[in-house]
Amino acid sequence: MDFDKLYAARLYAARVRPYLATALFALHPVESPRVPTMAVDRHWRCYASPAFVAATPLADLAGVWVHEVSHLLRDHHARGDRYAAAHGLTGPAERLRMNIAADCEINDDIYGDGLPWPRDCVQPRHLRLDPGQLMEDYLGQFRLGPYTQGLAWLDCGSGADGRERDWDLGPDGAHGLGDQERDLVRFRVAEGMKGRGAVPAGWQRWADEAFHPPQPWRALLGAAVRAAASSGSGDDYNWGRPSRRGASLPEVVLPGLRRTPPRVCVIVDTSGSVSDAELGSALLEVTAIGRAVGGRRDNVTVMSCDAAARIAHPLCQAEGITLTGGGGTDLRAGFSRAARTSPRPDVVVVLTDGQTPWPSAPPPFRTVVGLFKRTHQHDCDHEGCDSEPPPRWARVVRIG
Amino acid sequence: MPASVLPTAVPTRLDVAAELLALLNDTGTEPRADNQLEALTLAVAADLPVLLWGEPGIGKTAALNQLAESLDLPLTTVIASVHEPTDFSGLPIVGDDPAVQGVPMAPPDWAVRLVRAGRGLLFLDELSTAPPAVQAALLRLVLERRVGALSLPPGVRIVAAANPRSSAADGWELSAPLANRFVHLQWAHDHDVVVRGLGGTWPRASLPRLDPARLPESVAYARRAVCTLLAARPALVHKLPTGESRRGGPWPSPRSWDMALRLIAFGTAAGTGREVLSMLVRGTVGDGPGLELLASLDRLDLPDPETLLADPGSAVLPERGDLRQAVLDGVVEAVRRRPDRSRWDAAWSLLVLALETGAPDLVVVPAATLASLRQDGWEVPTAIERLAGAVALAQRADRAVERVGARR
Repeated sequence: MDFDKLYAARLYAARVRPYLATALFALHPVESPRVPTMAVDRHWRCYASPAFVAATPLADLAGVWVHEVSHLLRDHHARGDRYAAAHGLTGPAERLRMNIAADCEINDDIYGDGLPWPRDCVQPRHLRLDPGQLMEDYLGQFRLGPYTQGLAWLDCGSGADGRERDWDLGPDGAHGLGDQERDLVRFRVAEGMKGRGAVPAGWQRWADEAFHPPQPWRALLGAAVRAAASSGSGDDYNWGRPSRRGASLPEVVLPGLRRTPPRVCVIVDTSGSVSDAELGSALLEVTAIGRAVGGRRDNVTVMSCDAAARIAHPLCQAEGITLTGGGGTDLRAGFSRAARTSPRPDVVVVLTDGQTPWPSAPPPFRTVVGLFKRTHQHDCDHEGCDSEPPPRWARVVRIG
Repeated sequence: MPASVLPTAVPTRLDVAAELLALLNDTGTEPRADNQLEALTLAVAADLPVLLWGEPGIGKTAALNQLAESLDLPLTTVIASVHEPTDFSGLPIVGDDPAVQGVPMAPPDWAVRLVRAGRGLLFLDELSTAPPAVQAALLRLVLERRVGALSLPPGVRIVAAANPRSSAADGWELSAPLANRFVHLQWAHDHDVVVRGLGGTWPRASLPRLDPARLPESVAYARRAVCTLLAARPALVHKLPTGESRRGGPWPSPRSWDMALRLIAFGTAAGTGREVLSMLVRGTVGDGPGLELLASLDRLDLPDPETLLADPGSAVLPERGDLRQAVLDGVVEAVRRRPDRSRWDAAWSLLVLALETGAPDLVVVPAATLASLRQDGWEVPTAIERLAGAVALAQRADRAVERVGARR
C-alpha cells in the first residue's frame, strides 16, 4: 500500500483542520484489502484499502481521514449501541441506517474550506431532511428505501455504527486505544477547540457538550423547583413540636418530623417571543410539581405579566389553576407583588425569555428561573428591553 | 401425641422450604476483572467514603455484602432515609442538672456495636432520600467519623448508596458539602456478571495488593501529578458546582484534591489500570478536572525533553502518534528556549529516530520549526538527508493544498 500517500493525506488534513490534528495523529493506520474504502474501529485504528488509496486524489483522501476521525470523536459507535438498546434494534440493516445517520451529522460541516466535497457523500438533503441535527434525531426520521438506495456502498466500519466487522483486529490487537485513552484524546481535542476562533459551529457545539451532555430541561426544572420548595420547608425535622416518640422517652429530647407544604407562585413574563407550546409545557410542569410538593391545589398560583396573559389565561382555565393577572408590565412589578401577597410564597418560579429588568436586591423567597431561548432575535432598541443575565441569587434552568 | 417424642419426625413443609432456600443461597464466587468493583475496593482500602450511584435493584447492596464478606468485615447497614437526625448526631439526654453536667449526646446502639467491634463496614443506604436535616447530621459522621459522643475507630470504612435524580421520585439533592466528601462511583449492572451470578457464581472482591517497595515512589508520583496540574491551573483548585445539572455530584476543592491524590498513590502502589483510576479520579473532583488530571498524568509519563536531548542515542519514543507528536514538539520547544549547536544536533537525531520508528507525517511540523531555528555557522547535519522522505511528503501535501486553493 502507498503509505506515503496516506500519510501525506493525513498531513494535509492536519494542515487544513489544525484543531483535529491531535485526533488524526492518534489514529493508527492498518492496511486491509478487505475494507471497501476506509473504515475505523472503536479502538481508533483506521483500516485502508490499498486500491482505494491508490485511486483517490490526495485532497479527497484527506477528506476521508477527517470524516473517519469525526465518527470517533463524536463517539458514534457507543451512541449507536445505546440507541439500538433503547429502541430494540438489531441487524446489519439498522446499523447501516446508523452509519447513514452518523454521516449526515458529520458531513454538513467538515467539507469545504480546503477539503473538496466528495461526489457521493451522504447529506441530509438527499434524505429530504434538515441539516444541523444529531445522529439520534436523523435515525427517527428516515427508513431504508429508494432515497437510500445509492448509499449502500458506504461502510465506515465499527467505529461508525458499533457492529463488529470481520477485518477488525479487536480489543486485544496492536495499537488499540482503551476507553480511558479514547476519552482523553477526545477531551484534549475538545479543550483545544474551545476559545479557538476558526472552528465551525457544529464542532464548537460538540466541544461544549462532549463531556457535559445537556440534560433534559424538565428534569432540571423539576429538581430546581423541588429543591427550592423543600429546603427550609416541606418534610424535614425540627424542634418546633414534640416528636411522636417523645412520650416513651421522658428524658430524651427528640426532634419531630413536620410537614409545612410550600407555597409556589409562578410568574409568567414573556414578550411573545417564546413558542406557546414550550411555555405551556413548562407552566404545566411547574404547576404539577408545585402541587406534588405542596400537596394541595391552592398552594400553587400563577401570575401573568401583561404580555403573557393571552397564553396563561386559557391554560390556567383548562387546568383549574388559580390565575392572578396583573403582574405588571415587567418582572420587577411581578416580584414586588408576589412579596406583598399574603400568605407570602416560599418559592417563586419565573418563566421568562430574559428580556426584562431584574430586581436589584434578592427577594424574600427562593427563586427559580426558567429561561427560554428566543425563537427569533428582534432588535432591542426600545425602552425597557434590557436583556441582562438573570441575577446570582436565582437558580437558572435553560429551557428548550 | 406431642411431636417431640416422634422417633424420626417427618419433615414439615416449612423444613422442606428451608432446604430449598438453602440450596438457592448456595452460590460460589470467582475472581473476575471488574472495573467498578476494583474501584470500590481501592477506595475502601484508601479509607475514603464512597458513594455508589445506581438505579434501584441493580445489586448495590448485594455488592456491599460481597465486599464485607471477602474483606471479612462485619457489615452494618443503616438506611438513612428512615432515621432521624438524632440517630446520627446523638440523642440529647437531659439529666438532673444540665447547667452543670451539660447534655450528653447518647449514641444509638449500632454505633456502640461498631465501636466495640473496632472494625467494620458501615453502609448508609438510600442517602438521597434522607431529609435535609438528616443529611446535615450525616456530614459529621462522614467527615469527623463521630456519632454523638463516640468516635468510630479507624478500622471502620464508610460506604453509602444513593439513587440518581432521574429515578428518585421524591429525593432531595445531595447538598454540595456532603457531596464533596465522597468518592462518587456510578454503579451499573454488567450483563455478563448478572447472568453468571444468577447461575450461581458472583465475582469476588479482593483488596488491592499494594507493593511495599513502591510506597514512597507512589506518594511522590501522586503529589507531583496533582501539584503540577494545580500550579499551572489555579482555577481548578476550588470550583463550586454552578450549573443545575452538576449539583449533588463531585466537584473540586482542596479536600477532594487531597482525596484524589490519595487515590492516585494507592492506584500506583497497587498497579491499577488507567480505567479504574479514571473512574475514581473523575468521581472525586468531577469530570472536567478529573480529565485534566489524567491528561497531566499522561504528560508526566512522557519522556522529559531535556533527558532525550542529553542522550538521543538511547531515547525511546512513545508508540502512539498523538503522544509522539507531543514529545517532539516538546523537544523542539526546549531547543528554542536554549538554542545551542549540540542541542540542535541532538534534536535532529531524535527526529530521524521518530522517522525510522513510526509515521513520517508527524515529523514534518517539528522538522520545519527546528530548521527555522538554525543560526549562522551551524551546519545542517547529515541526518537531515534522511528526513528527505518526510520533506517530500510535506511538499506533496502543500502542493495539494495549493491546488485546492485552501486558505492556510
